Amino acid sequence: MSAHKHQVWKRAVPVWDSSLNNSIFWFFLALALVSSVLAGIRLFGGLAFTGMSDDFAWGVWKTFNVMTLTALGSAGLAVGVAAWVFNQHQFHVIMRTSLVISLLFYGTGLISLGIDVGRPWNFYNSLLPWRWNYHSSLFEVAICMSAYFSIFLLYENLPAFVERRYVVAPTETRRKISQFTHKYRAAYPFMIAAAYLLPIMHQSSLGSLMVIAGPKVHPLWQTQMLPAYYLLQAFICGFAAVVIILMISSMGWRRPLDMPVLSDLGKFMAWAAIAFVAIRWTQVLVTGKAGMAFQPDSMALLFHTEMLLNLIPALILLKPRVRRTPRSLFVGSVVIAIGGMLYRFSPTTLAYRPGSSSLYFPSDRELLLALGAVGWTVVLFMIIVKYFAVLPAPLSEWYRAINHAKEKLPELRIDEHGAATDY
Amino acid sequence: MTVSRRDLLKSAGAGVGATVLGAAPGLAARGEVAPREDAMALLYDATACIGCRACVVACADVNGLEPDTALTGGMYSMPLDLNARTKNIIMLWRDEEKEQYSFVKHQCMHCLDPACVSGCPFHALTKEEWGVVKWHGDLCIGCRYCEIACPYDVPRFEWESFNPKIIKCELCDHRIAKGLEPGCTDVCPTAAVVFGRRDELKTAGEKRIEENPGKYYQDHLYGTDDLGGTQVFYLATVPFANLGLPERKESAAHYGSKVHTTLYKWMLLPLTVFGLMATFIRRRWKIFEEEALREQQETGRPPQL
Repeated sequence: MSAHKHQVWKRAVPVWDSSLNNSIFWFFLALALVSSVLAGIRLFGGLAFTGMSDDFAWGVWKTFNVMTLTALGSAGLAVGVAAWVFNQHQFHVIMRTSLVISLLFYGTGLISLGIDVGRPWNFYNSLLPWRWNYHSSLFEVAICMSAYFSIFLLYENLPAFVERRYVVAPTETRRKISQFTHKYRAAYPFMIAAAYLLPIMHQSSLGSLMVIAGPKVHPLWQTQMLPAYYLLQAFICGFAAVVIILMISSMGWRRPLDMPVLSDLGKFMAWAAIAFVAIRWTQVLVTGKAGMAFQPDSMALLFHTEMLLNLIPALILLKPRVRRTPRSLFVGSVVIAIGGMLYRFSPTTLAYRPGSSSLYFPSDRELLLALGAVGWTVVLFMIIVKYFAVLPAPLSEWYRAINHAKEKLPELRIDEHGAATDY
Repeated sequence: MTVSRRDLLKSAGAGVGATVLGAAPGLAARGEVAPREDAMALLYDATACIGCRACVVACADVNGLEPDTALTGGMYSMPLDLNARTKNIIMLWRDEEKEQYSFVKHQCMHCLDPACVSGCPFHALTKEEWGVVKWHGDLCIGCRYCEIACPYDVPRFEWESFNPKIIKCELCDHRIAKGLEPGCTDVCPTAAVVFGRRDELKTAGEKRIEENPGKYYQDHLYGTDDLGGTQVFYLATVPFANLGLPERKESAAHYGSKVHTTLYKWMLLPLTVFGLMATFIRRRWKIFEEEALREQQETGRPPQL
């Protein structure tokens, strides 16, 4: 599929003609519902049914749903910083998709965290500043993540939701929405600057979390550089997540791909991945751990797997012709995302070596709960893009949607361009 | 407000510079924390321990812990390790080839600079009277970061419970308050573990090394400066690392928090990053709004954000 001039993404348009009655939707909904029932049961009992132990006190709900998946959920951060700070105008059209990805991964991550902690009723302490431990990186993560989700991600995602309300609202409500929009826009530059600062802070603090564990984390992973690496991977995985989800969505709902935009994302992702590999190799060499990387053991294998899954696709995607080919960009992004997620997962689990020789593997119910969070992400994404203008499309799609809306609801006071006629 | 790129870079440079300078002394030092005036301690001499485990039973007894009979089919208490019913344990380390062995007693070390206290997000673990590291159930969210952070793997979690607590030795502070000594030292038949003021026990331990040169591993009293210093001292004939006592000097709390505290010193770096981003974004926001307005006038389509 090549990008023709008329197929350039111009606006976010709802996939209004998509049907939710398909096997993918029902599968993930079933997964999500089963896991929610299990989550409910969990709240009335202990955590003994999990694979966690006093050696591996953190299981997949933290190490996968939070520490790994919020890297994908950093899509809104990565694309936002590229668009607004690094002046990449072409990314504005995919901003809504990136922000919905962030909203869903962070939301499910925070819920997983609520199920994971043993004494969730004490969470109210996070509202009492005199009980905060400013020196704790976990405190930073807890406060920063909840503030980012409940204030800034909701704020950033508001336009797509308000827009729909505006179209169907009576004149008086439209006036109120317009007034609100005025205030919203006045605050926008400062709000999004804060919306980028907070994830920069907590995505790096996620890396700081494992520093205190010292030698319990294998030396190839244990370094004071962990916060920098976790932040870099947030950007890499964030870009990769947008590419992957945009491509799957466009294919699935038969929308054209805007390869110039997607390949620009690929360019940012590739350079960030190369920077990650270069910095990490430099640090391993400088700290004299290179020998460990060439020992014939599983840890060295894991190290090289992470690095090569980032490096090889990144080098291949440096060629503009290659990354403008949908298939190679998609495969490259998937491989880089797997490498990045593996890196974010390793220090907490695969390369975590507590005193005793016991190993951690999640129990069936524990794993089902973790995957159920992913299920909710897919289900909610499919619903949101159907009813709200989130996924990017060419102008022809916009006019098709407007025509459909006007046909179905003749009383709608909008003109042929979708603009309000009364206010 | 107009800010030139030059001004921006200057202010950014000043911010980063100040952060680095402000943090430099902190990074250089090992972050040693002096013991409290009233610090109480244990002194355990592995060469005097006969492994009778009377202290394990006494500990459970005075702390109201149910006996761990999982291994004996309900006959008698026989924990394999510290767990949700065991705050104190005697373990045996043995090297068959070198024919070396040593008992070792594990319980909370009541570190001078505890990693659990440093990592706990809501101060549910604090250093209290007598230097006891204490857990507060009304503050704990059950995140188990203390288990990740503790270099001695001491805190345990009640996995079975609906209302799970963090279980660890609190130096029998309820007994100290009554003028009694902890359960373990109270019953030890060979005085392998004794209780007292930290400064006095330190002197006593060092005196034993002086009187028996070459007897103890590296002629060192473990806990004086190890991992920032602890309120439990150890004497042993085998390497401490074999007994689960890491042979590092820097406290885990300091190692784990120095970069974090540097980055967040006076919030200087985050505020600088915010200021820079806000300045760039504001400038672009004006252009973005103008373009959106122009496009709306030209095409009639409502702008999207």
